[in-house]
Amino acid sequence: MATRHRFSVAGVLHTVSVDDAGDRLVVRIDDRDPIEVDATTEGVPGLFSLVRGGRPSRAYVTRDGKNLRVIVDGRSFVLSPGSGSRERGAAGGLADPPGKITAPLAGVVVDVRVKPGDRIEARQVVVVVEAMKMQNEVQAPHSGTVTAVKVQQGGRAEKGELLVEYTPDATA
Amino acid sequence: MFRRVLIANRGEIALRVQRTCREMGIETVAVYSDPDRNALHVRNADHAVRIGPGPALESYLVIDKIIAAAKATGADAIHPGYGFLSENPRFADACAVAGITFIGPPADAMRALGGKISGRRLMQEAGVPVVPGADNISVDDFATAKREADRIGFPLLVKASAGGGGRGIRLVQRAEDLENAMRASGSEASTSFGDATIFLEKYVSPARHIEVQMIADAHGNVRAFGERECSIQRRNQKLVEEAPSVAVTPEIRKRLCDAAVAAAKSCGYRNAGTVEFLMDREGNFYFLEVNARLQVEHPVTELVYGGVDLVALQLRVAAGEPLPDLDAPIEPTGWAIECRINGENPYANFAPSVGLIDYLQVPSGPGVRFDSMLFEGLDVPVYYDSLLGKLIVWAETRPQAIERMKRALKDLIVSGVDSNVPFHLALFDEPDFRSGDFSTSWLEANFKMPEPPADDPRLETALIAGALAASLIAGSSESGLTAQGPTRWVQASRAQARRGIRVEGGVRGWRRGIASR
Repeated sequence: MATRHRFSVAGVLHTVSVDDAGDRLVVRIDDRDPIEVDATTEGVPGLFSLVRGGRPSRAYVTRDGKNLRVIVDGRSFVLSPGSGSRERGAAGGLADPPGKITAPLAGVVVDVRVKPGDRIEARQVVVVVEAMKMQNEVQAPHSGTVTAVKVQQGGRAEKGELLVEYTPDATA
Repeated sequence: MFRRVLIANRGEIALRVQRTCREMGIETVAVYSDPDRNALHVRNADHAVRIGPGPALESYLVIDKIIAAAKATGADAIHPGYGFLSENPRFADACAVAGITFIGPPADAMRALGGKISGRRLMQEAGVPVVPGADNISVDDFATAKREADRIGFPLLVKASAGGGGRGIRLVQRAEDLENAMRASGSEASTSFGDATIFLEKYVSPARHIEVQMIADAHGNVRAFGERECSIQRRNQKLVEEAPSVAVTPEIRKRLCDAAVAAAKSCGYRNAGTVEFLMDREGNFYFLEVNARLQVEHPVTELVYGGVDLVALQLRVAAGEPLPDLDAPIEPTGWAIECRINGENPYANFAPSVGLIDYLQVPSGPGVRFDSMLFEGLDVPVYYDSLLGKLIVWAETRPQAIERMKRALKDLIVSGVDSNVPFHLALFDEPDFRSGDFSTSWLEANFKMPEPPADDPRLETALIAGALAASLIAGSSESGLTAQGPTRWVQASRAQARRGIRVEGGVRGWRRGIASR
């Protein structure tokens, strides 16, 4: 019984189908030839050992929100489900859709520069989040009017946490 | 010898000091801020004292809290590690007042070395080469400054005597820009440090950052341990250090070590310290400053000098013992390289990254050492620097050490935060790095993080593993079931995967519960 997965990696879409043939798996990536894989995660959750044609490889998979993060020999891949329209690594702040501004990284809120009712312009800094002694300015992706500020100075923000809500200006 | 040592630090260096203490039969006292409650240095200590909330200004930097913790636990000495209070003479004074041994230099030596002009004069008197310059100038006396500048030659630097962090420094390319630079430097220094004293220094560029580890005892003995090469820097932060340096010959090494010993003797230095130098292409070196503490990169020195334990030497000389092996050779054995493993994303302009470590695989094997605060279940705090650990290798030659480091970097898996491992792997393939042809400005001027190749064979592995993980997460109750029941890999994987999927919420939620108490 086959399962199909669509992943976007660095903006490129890949389709992976996995067919469980009992003693082994048959994997097909995009339109390439099928590969026979002996796979196990025995021992450590998320740590995969794959053997393809007598050649072992290793990977560690963990969930990062909706994405999967896979580490193979020093390189980290982010596998996003679906279409691949989003830029790799871009999240929060300028990458947010209109109406909400979220934290691009986890940290301590060291400055809140807007309050409800304030006008904001695109690229205006609304909140400053500090992580590991580095200050990161979170910018508004669009202009609009702030309706709610969800964090306080000195508080902690998680990656992806809602910081500011605003009513975006109608686009001309 | 001491009975109980308080370690006024956190992270990998607290663990490093603890290890030596345990080997020497000395009990350890850990101090911790709230977000460090779960840290290894707390778990592994004999005693542990909470010293306040996350921000260092309210915990690790509060002298009174550290002294109180030492008194409450009966510690007879304090090891400051690096950073935090390690080079604060007021902390050394406070230890003395409390009758506790400070494992570091005397406060007077720290003060003498603290001011840049006083440090320069001290070194000149001791015969240590300093960067050609002039300290007899002032913002108001441009005529003298102009005369001195012409003698030194352009380009030159206008520097503030006080402070640090690059503030009050101006690079002057042409004579006509000197007056403005002096005013700007003086006023910046006045605003930042309340001291407008400035001086001129020749601009040595390109230069290598070469430093010498030394240690002094209370009996007038000083031992120097050859050099470390620390030119691979980004924004003044060292990223890779090695010992020895490709640019240092035995003859230069002898002169460097003599200079470091003279520097230590000039100010009555005791305990471990590092004398930093700038070195030009011709092998001329100039005193930069003394780091009055154990440094992050001390392990590379340990590895090329027969595995000497610098922390053990610190403890011994602080307890009044004389330094052993004073006539040991200054020539190193083999080659050591250290990579700083930082929680930052090299593909996103080195943005800092924090999070819960959900998996860790530590490299091992011949010649590999990993000094790190990491463990599975650690929630890396946002309050401190991004150093997660230090990967250090030793091999007989530099090319072998480079290959060994690449092997170890590929064996290191840190999951839960982004790390700069891909940066290090890319660096070790750079021809300039491999040939040793670099200076302190090389990395920022010449290195660009390469985009990974599109046809990377690792992508296929990642896609297969990702698809299998996605199947498990989606619930393999349907896929993977055959007439004979679940197949072999599903059977083996399912329980593990379920645990893996749930551990994130569980551990993180639990930690938050503690933290928000």
